[in-house]
Amino acid sequence: MRQIAFYGKGGIGKSTTSQNTLACLAQDGHKILIVGCDPKADSTRLILHSKAQDTILSLAAAAGSVEDLEIEDVMKVGYLDIRCVESGGPEPGVGCAGRGVITSINFLEENGAYEDVDYVSYDVLGDVVCGGFAMPIRENKAQEIYIVMSGEMMAMYAANNISKGILKYANSGGVRLGALVCNERQTDKELELAEELAKKLGTFLIHFVPRDNIVQHAELRRMTVVEYAPDSKQADEYRTLSRKIHANKGNGIIPTPITMDELEDMLMQFGIMKQVDESQVGVVAAAG
Amino acid sequence: MSLSAPETIEEIKQRNKELIAEVLEHYPEKSRKNRAKHLNQFQEGGKDCSVKSNIKSVPGVMTIRGCAYAGSKGVVWGPIKDMIHISHGPVGCGQYSWAARRNYYIGTTGVDTFVTMQFTSDFQEKDIVFGGDKKLAKIMDEIMEIFPLNHGVTVQSECPIGLIGDDIEAVSKQKSKEYGGKTIVPVRCEGFRGVSQSLGHHIANDSIRDWVFDKMEGKPCPIELTNYDVAIIGDYNIGGDAWSSRILLEEMGLRVIAQWSGDGTIAELEATPKAKLNVLHCYRSMNYISRHMEEKYGVPWVEYNFFGHSKIAESLRTIASHFDDKIKEGAERVIEKYRALSDAVIEKYRPRLHGRKVMLFVGGLRPRHVIGAYEDLGMEVVGTGYEFGHNDDYQRTTHYVKDGTLIYDDVTGFEFEKFVEKIQPDLVGSGIKEKYVFQKMGVPFRQMHSWDYSGPYHGYDCFAIFARDMDMAINAPVWGLTKAPF
Amino acid sequence: MPQNADNVLDHFDLFRQPEYREMLANKKKNFESPVAEAELQRVVEWTKTWDYREKNFAREALTVNPAKACQPLGAVFAAVGFEGTIPFVHGSQGCVAYYRSHFSRHFKEPSSCVSSSMTEDAAVFGGLNNMIDGLANTYNLYKPKMISVSTTCMAEVIGDDLNAFIKNAKEKGSVPKEFDVPFAHTPAFVGSHITGYDNVMKGIFEHFWGGKAGTAPKLDRVENDQINFITGFDPYTVGNVRELKRMFDLIGFNYKIVCDNSDVWDTPTDGTFRMFDGGTTIEETEKAVHAKATVSMQEYCTEKTLKYIHEEWKHEIVPFNHPIGVKGTDEFLLKISELTGRPIPDQLKLERGRLVDAICDSNTHIHVKKFAIYADPDMCIGLVSFLLECGAEPTHVLATNGSKSWAEKVEKMLADSPFGQNCHVYPGRDLWHMRSLLFTEPVDFLIGNTYGKYLERDTGTPLIRIGFPIFDRHHHHRYPVWGYQGGLNVLVWILDRVFEEIDKNTIVPAYSDFSYDIIR
Repeated sequence: MRQIAFYGKGGIGKSTTSQNTLACLAQDGHKILIVGCDPKADSTRLILHSKAQDTILSLAAAAGSVEDLEIEDVMKVGYLDIRCVESGGPEPGVGCAGRGVITSINFLEENGAYEDVDYVSYDVLGDVVCGGFAMPIRENKAQEIYIVMSGEMMAMYAANNISKGILKYANSGGVRLGALVCNERQTDKELELAEELAKKLGTFLIHFVPRDNIVQHAELRRMTVVEYAPDSKQADEYRTLSRKIHANKGNGIIPTPITMDELEDMLMQFGIMKQVDESQVGVVAAAG
Repeated sequence: MSLSAPETIEEIKQRNKELIAEVLEHYPEKSRKNRAKHLNQFQEGGKDCSVKSNIKSVPGVMTIRGCAYAGSKGVVWGPIKDMIHISHGPVGCGQYSWAARRNYYIGTTGVDTFVTMQFTSDFQEKDIVFGGDKKLAKIMDEIMEIFPLNHGVTVQSECPIGLIGDDIEAVSKQKSKEYGGKTIVPVRCEGFRGVSQSLGHHIANDSIRDWVFDKMEGKPCPIELTNYDVAIIGDYNIGGDAWSSRILLEEMGLRVIAQWSGDGTIAELEATPKAKLNVLHCYRSMNYISRHMEEKYGVPWVEYNFFGHSKIAESLRTIASHFDDKIKEGAERVIEKYRALSDAVIEKYRPRLHGRKVMLFVGGLRPRHVIGAYEDLGMEVVGTGYEFGHNDDYQRTTHYVKDGTLIYDDVTGFEFEKFVEKIQPDLVGSGIKEKYVFQKMGVPFRQMHSWDYSGPYHGYDCFAIFARDMDMAINAPVWGLTKAPF
Repeated sequence: MPQNADNVLDHFDLFRQPEYREMLANKKKNFESPVAEAELQRVVEWTKTWDYREKNFAREALTVNPAKACQPLGAVFAAVGFEGTIPFVHGSQGCVAYYRSHFSRHFKEPSSCVSSSMTEDAAVFGGLNNMIDGLANTYNLYKPKMISVSTTCMAEVIGDDLNAFIKNAKEKGSVPKEFDVPFAHTPAFVGSHITGYDNVMKGIFEHFWGGKAGTAPKLDRVENDQINFITGFDPYTVGNVRELKRMFDLIGFNYKIVCDNSDVWDTPTDGTFRMFDGGTTIEETEKAVHAKATVSMQEYCTEKTLKYIHEEWKHEIVPFNHPIGVKGTDEFLLKISELTGRPIPDQLKLERGRLVDAICDSNTHIHVKKFAIYADPDMCIGLVSFLLECGAEPTHVLATNGSKSWAEKVEKMLADSPFGQNCHVYPGRDLWHMRSLLFTEPVDFLIGNTYGKYLERDTGTPLIRIGFPIFDRHHHHRYPVWGYQGGLNVLVWILDRVFEEIDKNTIVPAYSDFSYDIIR
């Protein structure tokens, strides 16, 4: 059994990328379990063709505690028998979503959810904001992390931060950075930037997924592209990505995250960021 | 180091120096540096005790300290008898502190008073993940239905509350409004805040300021006032301490309008800003609110010490000095009244205790306040330290301790054990966690937080109990049996 | 002035003297804004009614006077059952002060345990540095053979990863690489103290048998004839473990108590403080993997541990429920005899006969008496079984930390006995619920821990102290309640209270003292 995780800044297309990739792996005959670790619970909707599945935590809250749940209550089966669970979590601004991730993963392990699967994939919200969201990168969880990013500054900033999280656990546990996946946003010099960041982090860009409106057409139907239009060019892109990830087993590295200054220098080098005029920092716009 | 007992002050100081050095040797470098700042001895004329205090405990050393929750729920708020104090979070904190502090009170428990009960929101995983505010609101509703005679509610936050970002203030305001302005006080005393119980005292004091005093503005005073009104501040009525103190104040002609917080009520808290004088026993835990009342309501405060007849007499006169001759005469009358009792106590127990050496390690005021009582009995305190004292406590300590007294701030289990082993005092006064360690070593011990389920020790009546208890501890025949004759 | 140097009045006499009574009455009247007496009495009476009971039982959010503690307490209990082991609790330090006090108050013994003393900065940045420094300090100061790490709710909420932290600390040289630091996550907001015991036991087996968190090879199990015994979180552990050993030595077989707290909670006063005493050694813990079977004396304290031992290591596992009394001990010994192939020796048969003799002599005083019981789930079962065989009716059986499946088990026991009819089981309820039960459906006696004294005060139901914690009676934990000898102790504790009640009810001269009999 191989365990991987997709991390990335919110809104980057992480769930779309992960679900399309995993659907391709399923097409290649692999048995897949998706564990959504985002309180929004949108990591499995394209596989299940549903708005959002009932989450472990919402079911547990209704039943009393997780001990009162059975695995079949929380696990749904979707496209090509891909098994799906969503950890779920509180409304924004209350409670502790990170603790929810810990609770859910413990529950799944204790109740045999991982039996008889080839791939477990964790889809994790934005950033490694607290210990709970690092749960999937603890020892004996995901072996390789794939960071979904783009050429936007904040996406690269997040990718670097996630690398810091991985580094923290890499020495004691076995977690490695698998590679970066760039989800095209059509920003300037996007491919070069992604490759440069990958190099700085000690890894490589495993695939550059071009932007294509067919993704939106599929999403409207709550489907992955590879199911909606299996013969499309975009489906081929995901297929290529999935096969590269499959072949990347054991090739993960311990990342070498860079400082904020280094990141800014890099962006300036590519002309994404202008040289900061220190005298202008904090000066408000002139009236009129 | 020589095993023979040091005789002169120089020998004592040399021994203490070596002892501290020897103890520190066992620490890893980083912790050794840290702990070195907390261990010293008092030098005659010093303005404090030359130790650092109120700093984070070193991890892994077995500190004796507790947490902010213990300072708020366990010390300041818990004894207010007609309010319900919710231990908000998982079940443990409330369970371990349930009725363990001997805050005596009069009332029908579970109906009009609630001190020796454990109210908890018993947090489950779902409350952590989804937040506990809705549960808290429901708890308030259930309290109002099942305990209708309560005079208010406090929310004592445990660690998770601050970590998951619950808004207990909003819930408290909302429910107070719903229940006709009932006093509902949210207290942010999560255990990870601060370095000891001490911040919990401060947070609890501030919550009284913000959620009790500020709310009463403009309301009429509930009682008729006199010129002799005082409030007892910082007496938790452990084993009845506040009662044996109150009786003396009343006998000298004062009127005690409030007890903070042993056997106290919300009505007494509310009346306190009208007092003529606040008399403060535990400075550490309630100086904050005393200062606030001085600044905002112009109520002066004075510290006092009701342990041992010498300090009691001194304190009665100090308190009386804030009033007219009637009260001053009253103080003298009280001192005279109890003279025979004190003399009898001294006559009986001093010969049995004279010259015995004591080492202390306690909480707020006792590391200094009880020294006089021991000295009244001819005993000598050779080492003392505070669990959660600040520098102002160590400054006040200089008035009590002698040259060469060993001082240990936030002592660790290891240090305390080694100090006692080497110094071989005749008595150790500390807490339940230390009691059995030293008794196993064959050293007589008294718990000086709970009075070892005896006491109380405040006031003249209870100085007799203090003397009897110390005699009982030191002169128990069992200490002659610890070594087997074979 | 009531006090007297020659005859010192204690608090319980002093404050009942007229001066103090008058002072306290005035305090109430003038300053406390008390509830009017009539209103107070009305509510006092109302709390005794069925109406109040219904409202009380409708509570969904508030817990009042629960009979359970949190996971980390059980974690500490389990840790100190191993030789030279210091429990290290990762999280806020106040928690550790509480566990230590709690155990010292029950066992009247020192309780050694350290904290990583996490504060506000650790809440934000995680407690890794606290682990690194903490382990180094504990190791250097206290020279333990093992450090058993568990967590408080604070560390659990922020999601600290013990496995990674301990490895990091070892990298930094806090403790030697090969030094044993087993760990268990013990969130206080899941389960109770019995869950914490379970998690730590499982953590220790996983550590020693399962390859020390990936740093050593997994052990190869070569099955032998040893039987492992796990006692569970047991307030009578001192007496019980010694009684088990005595019985096992009489039977004569290869056994090991894994997690043996009997010495550390019962050290002598002889001039030496023993931070550590007795306990299962590391070597014995490792060797326990080869045992043919593992017996748990308390099923609900060891649910995950037994599952792990059975599924991963294929031991035959045998769960009991704190067996008390004749049948409980019979079943226990028969199972051991079956496991070992050894006969039950005549000595134990004799002891059985003596217990039956004692019940025979005295059961008329217990027969059809109604009892309310609350305790941890396993102990409830042991007590119910014993009461049923004495012909008593266990009318209310309550466990705050009892599950639905536990309740079903007890209900079946009750249904199977003529003395269990009209008896009810209350899982997940607290002692304020019990108060309503005792008012609306009164019983003759209550069995519970020290906190039961408040129920005795309010409802007048005489309390027999059996359970955890017992703070206000001394030394009972040194007596066994297991085995036929243990059954005798329980019988005597119950009988003593029964006779005291009869005496108390007949002591008035020229009114009831005709029944104040000299022979009972």
